[in-house]
Amino acid sequence: MQTVKDRGPGAAAGASPRYAEVWGDTVDTAHLGWSVLIGAVVSFGAFELALRILQPLVAQAAMGRAYAMLVGLAGCLAAGAICARLFKPKRIVVEQEASDEGVRAELIARLVAEAGPLGSVQALPGYVVAEMKEVGLYDLFADAQARHAADGIALEHASSGGVA
Amino acid sequence: MMTASILQDIWVAVAMGVIGAVVFAAIGLVSGTDETTTIAPLTLLVALLGVPPAGVFMFFMAGAISKHMTHAIPTALLGIPGDTMAVPLMDETVALRNLGVPHIALRKMVSGAIIAAFVAVPLAVAFAWLLAPYGSKITPYVPWLFLAAALLIAYLSAGRWAAVAALVPFVLIIVGLQAVTARYHVTLGVSYFLGIAVGPLVADLFSLLSPRGRQAMLRDEPRTFSLAPDVKGWGGYFPNPLKVLDRRQTNLTIGTAAISSATFFFSPVAMTVVLGEAVAARVHNAYHRLTTVIAARNGVTEATYIAEALIPLIAFGLPLSPVAAGPAAPLFNAPPRFTVHGADGQIHNLHTLMTPGAFLIYGLLAVVLAALIAYPLSMNYAHRAASFVARRLSHEAIIATFVGLVIVIGFWEGGVAGLLVVTTVGLVGGLMYRAFGLNTGVQFMGFYTAVLSVPALIKLFM
Repeated sequence: MQTVKDRGPGAAAGASPRYAEVWGDTVDTAHLGWSVLIGAVVSFGAFELALRILQPLVAQAAMGRAYAMLVGLAGCLAAGAICARLFKPKRIVVEQEASDEGVRAELIARLVAEAGPLGSVQALPGYVVAEMKEVGLYDLFADAQARHAADGIALEHASSGGVA
Repeated sequence: MMTASILQDIWVAVAMGVIGAVVFAAIGLVSGTDETTTIAPLTLLVALLGVPPAGVFMFFMAGAISKHMTHAIPTALLGIPGDTMAVPLMDETVALRNLGVPHIALRKMVSGAIIAAFVAVPLAVAFAWLLAPYGSKITPYVPWLFLAAALLIAYLSAGRWAAVAALVPFVLIIVGLQAVTARYHVTLGVSYFLGIAVGPLVADLFSLLSPRGRQAMLRDEPRTFSLAPDVKGWGGYFPNPLKVLDRRQTNLTIGTAAISSATFFFSPVAMTVVLGEAVAARVHNAYHRLTTVIAARNGVTEATYIAEALIPLIAFGLPLSPVAAGPAAPLFNAPPRFTVHGADGQIHNLHTLMTPGAFLIYGLLAVVLAALIAYPLSMNYAHRAASFVARRLSHEAIIATFVGLVIVIGFWEGGVAGLLVVTTVGLVGGLMYRAFGLNTGVQFMGFYTAVLSVPALIKLFM
């Protein structure tokens, strides 16, 4: 799951912030420390306070505890909200404008080669052709296929055996 | 009036289903939230608050199906698995993203899921009904059944023989903790489940405190997420899933969903991989294969998940599958309300409180609610939702919420002892998961082995 490569301890030794990957995403270690503290104090506080107030009021002790737990869980959410306010996400979000044409052409060429002659667009039923035209992929696949066929039969044999 | 009370039950059940669908549709947007860590504790809470059985069931079902739908959003648009069940779909989603059609990936996935859910509920109920007559015959063998199931699920996990061997010390730790708390007249159940569920987080927090463990976790910069562009290719609010998928895709999705509804023992991820390959071999064009496989695979994870929860629940009342032992565990065991006293044959949980017919009706109702709430959300607001979560909701906030959850549930169940047990089980389980691939499903079976099989083993050998 850890997709980001660790570039060694030295690189992150600078002053602030210190990023770390915890439970599948990046956090700032100082912010994380505060978040753990806030999460613990707010939720425990909510639970304990509710228990003291509710215990004398509710006839059954078990029910009083269950309601106190519900208040405690509301405390968990409150702690989450406080931390969301205080600490911004440590993520770089890149809005993709469109897919990279080079990557796309390369991928289509590879997909066509892997599928072999059985996967030709001419063999497709009409509804798939219509869908591919709608998303603008039909011509790209057809062109890649024509180019692939022109590239020679030996190559096609070598690549179609592998994956399809 | 009899009818009035039935109507009241239905209203409560529907209301709980709506709450479950809304809450888990939102949780599904947060990528990486494991289904066990989120569904199990909240379902447990609902059970303990005394909600009628049908309401507990609807909350779980509508929640699980909704989360499964919305977790397709980070999977398709951010390229990160929405939860563990989305991992086998990553190859197809990445390819479709690079082809410039992430919206097609999302639409095919979500449509496959909803069709599979409608297929899986009646088939799983029917299959459970066929198995049910054998339920009473297996009762004397329950301790051995759990032992065998634990060993088998361990072997089928990523850890293979290491997971089987690591079960022994893990079970011993649970037996030991129970003996210690019993001396102070504290009996814990939920704390063990929660500890297992949040184990990876506990292990990470401990590692970060250690100068040695920290080195491997430090990063130079935040993670980069590239959000796919927003493309809306349909009119209206509620696209018909049967039109989003073509005929071939619909048939293959229904077929694979039907097969996976009858299997309740294998891990959903394994079923998804195997059946996905079977579908891929039948479709030759690359584009059509990508879109068909992604629909079928997401349908299979949905159907396996539903079958693995429903079949053991309806047929036996015993959590005998990875899903039943994990996220669905509170439907079987939520002491003191629901219990599995396998040794003396006394089961008191949804199995005894609801009829197969009720499971069928409320199950289908849960699918309908998820279809009404989570399906249009994933179809219409996917881009905005993914963008909001990635930009506004920090991981620190999510961790703060879970730390709070551990403390509240631990203290609620057993005071300081409860908190210590959650931490101990979490640390040991999390480290075992990281080192040997002893996943949470195996650890849940380890808990049942400690409670049910160990006393029988001791009786046999002492």
